[in-house]
Formats: sequence, C-alpha cells, structure tokens
Amino acid sequence: MNEDGMTERNFEDIEVTDFAVREHRSLWLDAWRRMIASRTAMLGLVIVVVFVLLAVLSHFFWEYDPKIDLDYSLKLKPPTFITTEEIPSVHPFGTDKLGRDIFRRVAHGGWNSLRVGISAVGISLLIGGVLGLIAGFYESIPLDRIERGFLVGFIGLALGAIPAWIADLWFIYVLFAALGFAAVLLERLPLSGKLLKIAFALAGLLIGGLPSLFVSPYTAVVNGLLGLVIGFTVTMSLGGRLLSNIIMRMMDIILAFPSILLAIAIVAFLGPGLDKTMIAVGFVSIPTYARLVRSTVLSVIQKEYILAAQSIGEGHARIILRYIIPNSLSPIIVQTTMGLASAIIWAAALGFLGLGAIPPEPEWGAMLGDSYRFLSSGAWWAVLFPGLAIMLSVLGFNLLGDGLRDALDPRIRS
Amino acid sequence: MGAEPIRPLFFLEGSVPLLRYILRRVISLIPTLLGVTFVIFMFTRLIPGDPAVAMLGEHAAEENVERIREQLGLNRPLFLDRNALQEGDFASFFDSQYIRFLGRLFQGDLGESIHRRIPVAETLALRFPATVELALTSMILAILIGVPVGIASAARRNSALDNVSMVGSLIGVSMPIFWLGLMEIILFAVFLQWLPSGARLSISFDIEPITHLLLVDTLIRGNLEAFYDAAKHLVMPTIALATIPMAIIARMTRSSMLDTLQEDYIRTAHAKGLSERVVLFRHALKNAMLPVITIIGLQTGNLLAGAVLTETIFSWPGIGKWVYDAILARDYPIVQGGTLIIAIVFVFINLLVDLSYAYLDPRIKYE
Repeated sequence: MNEDGMTERNFEDIEVTDFAVREHRSLWLDAWRRMIASRTAMLGLVIVVVFVLLAVLSHFFWEYDPKIDLDYSLKLKPPTFITTEEIPSVHPFGTDKLGRDIFRRVAHGGWNSLRVGISAVGISLLIGGVLGLIAGFYESIPLDRIERGFLVGFIGLALGAIPAWIADLWFIYVLFAALGFAAVLLERLPLSGKLLKIAFALAGLLIGGLPSLFVSPYTAVVNGLLGLVIGFTVTMSLGGRLLSNIIMRMMDIILAFPSILLAIAIVAFLGPGLDKTMIAVGFVSIPTYARLVRSTVLSVIQKEYILAAQSIGEGHARIILRYIIPNSLSPIIVQTTMGLASAIIWAAALGFLGLGAIPPEPEWGAMLGDSYRFLSSGAWWAVLFPGLAIMLSVLGFNLLGDGLRDALDPRIRS
Repeated sequence: MGAEPIRPLFFLEGSVPLLRYILRRVISLIPTLLGVTFVIFMFTRLIPGDPAVAMLGEHAAEENVERIREQLGLNRPLFLDRNALQEGDFASFFDSQYIRFLGRLFQGDLGESIHRRIPVAETLALRFPATVELALTSMILAILIGVPVGIASAARRNSALDNVSMVGSLIGVSMPIFWLGLMEIILFAVFLQWLPSGARLSISFDIEPITHLLLVDTLIRGNLEAFYDAAKHLVMPTIALATIPMAIIARMTRSSMLDTLQEDYIRTAHAKGLSERVVLFRHALKNAMLPVITIIGLQTGNLLAGAVLTETIFSWPGIGKWVYDAILARDYPIVQGGTLIIAIVFVFINLLVDLSYAYLDPRIKYE
C-alpha cells in the first residue's frame, strides 16, 4: 500500500487461487497463521510464555518459604553477578530491606500475579458474560411464555419484598411471585385488557392488604396501596427490554465509581489478602465484560443463521449454545487477554497500597510498596525490578491481545 | 467548495429532537444516581464497626455512645420504620437513615469528618481543585502529544515512525503508573535533584487562594517565582498521570484516522487532486475526531476520579488520596461525600460526552 492509501496492483501480482484444490483451513487455523505472521504478536506471545514458565517452574521446582527468608547482613545490597567475600551469594536483582534476594521474590511473585489475574478475569468473565448474554439476547429475541412467567414472577417477588417486610409476613413474597406468574399465564384469557388489569390490581390490593390487617390497620392501608401498584405493574407487558435495562443500569451504577476506589473499598470491607484482591479486581471489571458481550451478542443476533435457527424451531438455550456463543468468541478472547493485563496492574496497585498480599508473601505490587521508602537512600534496584516485571508481563498480554485482535477481526483482513 | 451562507441560529436547527434527547438522557441518570447513593449508603453501613464508637473510642461510656448515635441518627432504622407504622405514625415511618441521608444531600450537607470534626464539604472544596489542576494539565499534555502522534502514524502507516509510536503507546498503556512515578522520583528527585518529589508548592510561598488552582492563582497574583515553583511540582505527577491517556488517545486517533482514510469521500478528494495535507486535515481529521473526543471525555473522568495512586506517590493533596486515607481510617462521612462527588462528576462527564457526540455527528439518531 502506498502513501495515499490507494492500492496499486499489476496483473501479475494478483494471486490466482483455484478454490477447488485449496487446502481446507479452519477459521482458527487461519487466525493462528495470521498471528504468527505478526512480529509484535509473536513478541507478546514469547513474553507471556516466558513469564508463565518462570512463574510455574519457580512455584513447583524452586522451593521458597517467605516466612524464614531474611538476612539482615545482606540488607539493601545492589545487584551482584559474582560472589565476593562481603556478599557470598549472587543477587542479580539485588536484595531488599530484609536482605531477601529480589530475583527470587520476583520469580515467585509471578505465580501470585498470574493466579490473581486468571481468577479475577474468570470472575468478571463469568458474571459479566452471563449478564451481558442475557441482556443482549433478550433485548433482540422475545422471551417465550415460560421465561416471561419467571421474569414477571421474579419482579412480583422483588417488589413484593417491600410489603412483606413492612408487615413482617414472609408469605406475602410468595403470593406476589405467584401473582406475577399468573399474570403471564392468564394473558391469553378472552378478557379485555382493561378488565384484566383491574382484576390484577384488585388481587394485589387483597394480597397486600388482607394479611396485613392482622398487624395493624395502618400497615394494611400502606400494603394495600403497594399491592395495588404491584398488581398493576405485573400486568404491563414486561419483556426482554426491561430485563436488559435492569441489568445494564446496574452495570452503569458500578461504572459510576472509579474502579480503583471501588476495589480499595471492597478490600477494605473484606480485609486484605490475595483471595480478596481477586474478588475486588474481578468485581470492578464485571461491567466491562457485560457491555462487551451484550454488544457482541446484539450484532451476532442480527445474522441470518439466527433467524434460520429460530424458524426451524430451535430453543433459546440451543441457539445460545450452538450459534451465539461460538460466534461471539473472538472479541471475548481479545478482551480476556487484555483483561489479564489490567487485572495484573490492578492487583499490583492494591498490593502497592498495602491492601493486597499479606507480607511476607511475595507479590510485585507489595514489593514496590515495601521498598519505595528506601528510594531516598538510592536503592533503585528494589523498585526497578519488581516494577519492570509488572510492566513486561502486562505489555506481553497487551501485545498478544492486540495481535489476537488483528488475527481474529475479519474486517482488518484485507 | 462554494462559501456557504451563514444561517442564523444554525446551532439550533433541528434541535427539538436534540433537546428531547438531552432531556431523556438527563432523566435516565436519576435511577443511576439514586443507585449510586444507595450503594454508598449501604457500603458505609455494612462495613463492620460503629461510627459512634469510632468517634468516642473503645472505652466510652454506654450513654455517651447512645447520645452520639442519636445525634448521628444511627438509632433510626435503615430505610423505613415499620414499627412506627403500626402505631399509625406516618412521619416516623419515613424518618430513616437513608431518607435523612438523601435529605441532607439535597441541602448540600455532606456531614462532618469523624476524626477531625471538619465539614466534609469544606475540605472537599479545598481538595477538589488540586485534583482538577493535576487532571487538566495531564489531559492537556496527553492531547498535545497523543493526537499529533496518532495523526502522523496514520498518515505514514507502517513507517518506522508508526511502528515506534505504536510500540511506545503499547508500553504506555501497559505502564503501572505508580511504578513510573517512583522511577521519576528516583531519577529527577533523588539522583538529579531537579524536581521536588511531593506536595503542590514549597512551604516558603504563601498564596492567597482565589480559584484554588495554583497555576492560575500565582499568575493572577503576579508571583512568577511561585508560579515557577508550582509548575515544577506539577511536572512529575503530570507525566505519570498523562502516560496512559496519552497512549490511549494516540492509538484511538490512529485507528480512527485509518478508518476514515478508507472512506469513499477521501478517495474522491484525492481524485480531485487535492494536496495530501488538505485531505488529511480538512477532510479526514474532522470526521476522525469524533471517537477521539469520546475517549478524551471518558479519560478525563477517569483522571478526575482515579488519581489515587499518583496522588499517593507524590503526596498530592487531592481528592483521591483523601478518600483513600479515609477508607483506611474508616472515616465514613469523608468516604461517602468524596465518593459521591467523584461518582457524580464522572456520571456527568459521561453525559456530556454522549451529548457532544450526538451534537457533533449528525448521523446519530437520538434514540
């Protein structure tokens, strides 16, 4: 391609392909070939593989007990590559404030970072993915009657919680859930819509008001009014759009908080520790995945093969499993790879603030947080190497994700 | 292209659907904002520990704790008082902690810090400008570098410049900014000793605040020495905070420009024999900037909100570090007030981005 973006082709350049004899290549094989052709993607892959190997090998084959690792005589020594009388052991990355070998701790910290990253991405992918799938799917395809029954029944249950709590009578929940379910079942009755609405509003009034009379007349009045509103609500034609709206508004609420503050708050609530870090980091990125999956599903669902599957009467679960999920995979794979990168950064950030790994457990962010007070004494190595490890591994996953996007995205193939 | 006649009130043309769209977007914020207040309220109530005990200390007398609880309204139920309803007391029925919390919010009362007994709103007014100053300088730096780099990379696709800047931007995106900040401190504050490593201004300067933005205040007061000092304090945190948005903006500008350069009207412009520069800046850039503006808006929201790490490293007296310290100290009114303001600012910036997008791109339907 030349500079002005136009392609010049000579006749000889055009490759003639006989499609009948061309070897069969699957979509994934195609993508793989495109990826290994890209230098940056391969660089990313190499970094990721080296990092994973280092973490896994050192975890399983290089024993390390952080609890007994300390040697004050080697406190804050700069990197050494040969043994001397003063420093009898080799420390390629130097030692930290307790005389611990930084290289060893960086290698073992990799295991922790990888663990946290994978679990956090797993949490957000699972929860966010399912929410996004539901939102995207039912926004475009109408719910069938049973599903609608469950949705409206659930809405009755959720709204019914208010009068049930006010009267302190648990069975009111169940009654309202049944009312919601019935609203869907009785939709096809040959009654006029208005009459049905009035009937359900009255039923709501009775369900809310009558049991509450045993508590107090005032409670009965309030609950009766609430019941009236709920009864009326369940007869409105509530559908998938409402479901999608509820889910996405919830995601908006999470997104309204800055992720780092939200993660800090969750860890402050749960207490420090790597497992809590996983939950916090996983939770804050749920909306990212929900939004991505929803928009992917919305575009996949427009395709003709979905219409074809619907028209031959395939069920919703089968359409989702056989057609929608396989066709939505590529953006999700890309996002997951990049999500690993950001999960590693978030986990390190929490560790840096002293909210992640509990010392003396090696973790890159916590190592930075431990050592940065010694910066003014010039101990640059204690900060440089753990940070470099974070940056390189994150860069690796980002490069790989970028390469995957180019390889998997059919639009850039030309 | 002939000169188009200037139409009066051109910006209002076809604005009825636009106004309606704005109104609907603003209304759709209400449930989100209510949800935000609900989450913040629930968080501070669910976290273990009694604020009254936190105020008075572990060994306070029972009746004192009870008095403080009553003062703070902690003896009220969380949402609704069902026992009051049974007595027919409708006023007390609605008199709950959450409703009181909402009521105070509407009056702009964010409560008092538990440990220091200073109104939260007062500290917020001092702290927020520090964050705004840092975020805005960072964003300006990010735009000034990111956008031209992105344009140049797109114009010279696959050139050495393109490769270098794209690898550079990937490194930027992958940068743990707290580490970058530390490395800056080592280099510029410890070894070279060129720049101060923390705070907004050296103690020797005393600037009467006007806008609380130090760069502006020092200029208004005509104190150039203080201006220079404030600028020096800003350099390192600005670079640290600008790195990620700069990289994101450069990547976005590049990919958006590349998309635009493939459009038919660009080919037409080339075919007309227009110069490369005219095609690039007059025809392509304007259309390519739309997604970039979105990203700039979203990133500005992130900077205002998420500068916790940068502020911590450089002891910047901004809102992020304040809320972080308050979370650790369990000073709930600060956490509530600070988080709420951040979330509201964030939500409104997103709204502005959406609206500007709809206004700038006439193809978008106001659905």
